[in-house]
Amino acid sequence: MSDKKSPAPDPASGNPASRDPASRSSEPRIIGRSEFIRTSATVVGGLLLVPKSLPGSPRTGRPGNDLNIALLGTGAQGQVLLSSILKIPAVRVTAVCDIWTAYNQRRVSRLLQKYGHEHRTYEDYREMLAKESDLDAVIIATPDFWHEAHTVDALAAGLDVYCEKEMSNTLEGARNMARAAKKAGRLLQIGHQRRSNPRYQHCYEKLIRDAGLFGRFTTVNGQWNRSVQPDLGWPKKAVIDKAVLKKYGYDDMHQFRNWRWFKGLGGGPVVDLGSHQIDIYNWFLDAPPSSVSAVGGTDYYEPRTHQWYDNVQALYEYKTAQGTVRAFYQVITTNRNGGYFEIFMGDQGTLEISESAGRGSLYREDHAPLWDHWVKKGYLKSPQEEATPAGAILDVRETLAPAAYSLPFEMTEPYHKPHLENFFDAIRGKAELNCPAEIGYETAVTVLKANDAVASGRNLAFKPADFRI
Amino acid sequence: MKIILIRPAFGLAAVALMFYGLSAGPQEKMVPIQIELPKPMFIGTPANLRVPNLEKPLGKPRPPFLAPEGTLNLALGKPVTSTDDYPIIGELEMITDGDKDAADGSYVELGPFLQHVTIDLGQPSEIFALVVWHFHKQPLVYFDFVIQIAGDPDFTQHAVVIYNNDYDDTAQLGAGTDNNYVETAEGRLVDAKGHIGRYVRLYSNGNTSNDLNHYIEVEIYGRPAE
Repeated sequence: MSDKKSPAPDPASGNPASRDPASRSSEPRIIGRSEFIRTSATVVGGLLLVPKSLPGSPRTGRPGNDLNIALLGTGAQGQVLLSSILKIPAVRVTAVCDIWTAYNQRRVSRLLQKYGHEHRTYEDYREMLAKESDLDAVIIATPDFWHEAHTVDALAAGLDVYCEKEMSNTLEGARNMARAAKKAGRLLQIGHQRRSNPRYQHCYEKLIRDAGLFGRFTTVNGQWNRSVQPDLGWPKKAVIDKAVLKKYGYDDMHQFRNWRWFKGLGGGPVVDLGSHQIDIYNWFLDAPPSSVSAVGGTDYYEPRTHQWYDNVQALYEYKTAQGTVRAFYQVITTNRNGGYFEIFMGDQGTLEISESAGRGSLYREDHAPLWDHWVKKGYLKSPQEEATPAGAILDVRETLAPAAYSLPFEMTEPYHKPHLENFFDAIRGKAELNCPAEIGYETAVTVLKANDAVASGRNLAFKPADFRI
Repeated sequence: MKIILIRPAFGLAAVALMFYGLSAGPQEKMVPIQIELPKPMFIGTPANLRVPNLEKPLGKPRPPFLAPEGTLNLALGKPVTSTDDYPIIGELEMITDGDKDAADGSYVELGPFLQHVTIDLGQPSEIFALVVWHFHKQPLVYFDFVIQIAGDPDFTQHAVVIYNNDYDDTAQLGAGTDNNYVETAEGRLVDAKGHIGRYVRLYSNGNTSNDLNHYIEVEIYGRPAE
């Protein structure tokens, strides 16, 4: 987040460009545009697909490399992504699709009007893919069980895809997505946004790989502790028709709003939250795990409406080039104490990192070489001197707290913005994806197996072939 | 009687206005105002909270706020106008409908950058406190939060600023010294010190997650002016 806030106030900025009412039908609505330009389309596989270009061919030659994108899924995560997209130059949102036309779709459509993005709205993504002839990419932020269909069809339509994690709620689905990207020759970025976070990149590239600051990793510990939450509700004036809910795979509004808790739709907290962090385990350890044991259950919430485990404690084992690493991960949904972080412990030091901008400390083991050289090189900042309180007594029975070094810079932007920028830069041929389908798949294999381990009550081994697409 | 300088919204010339800072008489019985709090409900990925002048959370319930016996929430059901009369979601009426829940359908989302809402209390009122819930579903900080009270809808008569955390005067309403703070289900209570006015205006200029402005509820505790 920037030091402070928005551009200079403009009294007119809040005024809408038009008063087009929200779309309430499946017909595309043109928002802020006088004419809906239709172009020729080709029927492929029962869908009207508009081939944008041949696989691997250059992007359209708009001035300034401007990109036209669609947002598929306008719920909470779609809105988070859109907040970042609106701050990225030369990216226009020209189409929006969501089945909740009376609320989330309407909300995003009006938001786009405020920012002057001319766009059309859709309920049915197939119709959007068929009719939108000038798209470069689709941002997918729909429930996990829709990711496969949405991604595969968008790729087949010749579009690059940014798909939120979890890549899919099934490995078969995730595999099909990766294969579809390869077949189409298109980009598929999975939304593990820490992969593009400059703090995490600095830790991996500079502190771990270059400086080897922490020595040999032996232990990892991470958690995401969250407070008790009520189920999500919905405005009574914005109920989706039952037939529409059924068409898109939901039993009712409650399930639609709380899909993350339902088997067959989402993956529960260890997938929703843990996936971000366990992905970092694989990244920083340079290896996928060799086994996982886990316990958990739906112990607090109503099991009928919370089918996935409300708490999971998982223990992964990694066989890295340096040796065995054991990595613990906990997600709970009944107490927020401690928040969320990842801690990597080596025989020469410890890295404590979190997406939270306020956390990021490094601790040197007493016997390890001094870190002064790396401080001078700008890799980390020295501990700040803390005055000892008058009358303080050191209890020698306890281990003396090590001095806390810190990362040399802060993350000052919205968390998802660098990952989206990486995707857009990759479309323009200026960057490689930081989280392509292959990485997303490896993480999906790693994380989904934690749920399997809870269900089986056994230690489950990973085979190298499990991670191959 | 005091004299205070305020600069009206959107860059008009500064003017000097007078107002009477009134408070309860010494003989009046003071009682805690009764504020019904909504359920806390933080969800989602926390936003990046690097904010200057950020107040440390109290870590315990807010102490009771005393006001003369008979003080009521005068804002309940009162009309609201805004610089954004085409909200992104929700309706302006939600700001004074008594529903303080953070769930979808209980809040109004206004457009980006500097926006304000104005509540018309219907008659001159002696105002002791405001309680404001912008949005407590996520730990957000709202920028350039400024509250004014005035006797007329143009905020030229007896206008006074009772809260201003726009430390660098981004909103061009005059720099303020009040703290930034993280939204919670407790809302933000602002001492209005018994100022008399009919109109209450609240500015904000986006938040730590996005450029948008939200209101769940505004309560204005006071009584009709004699």
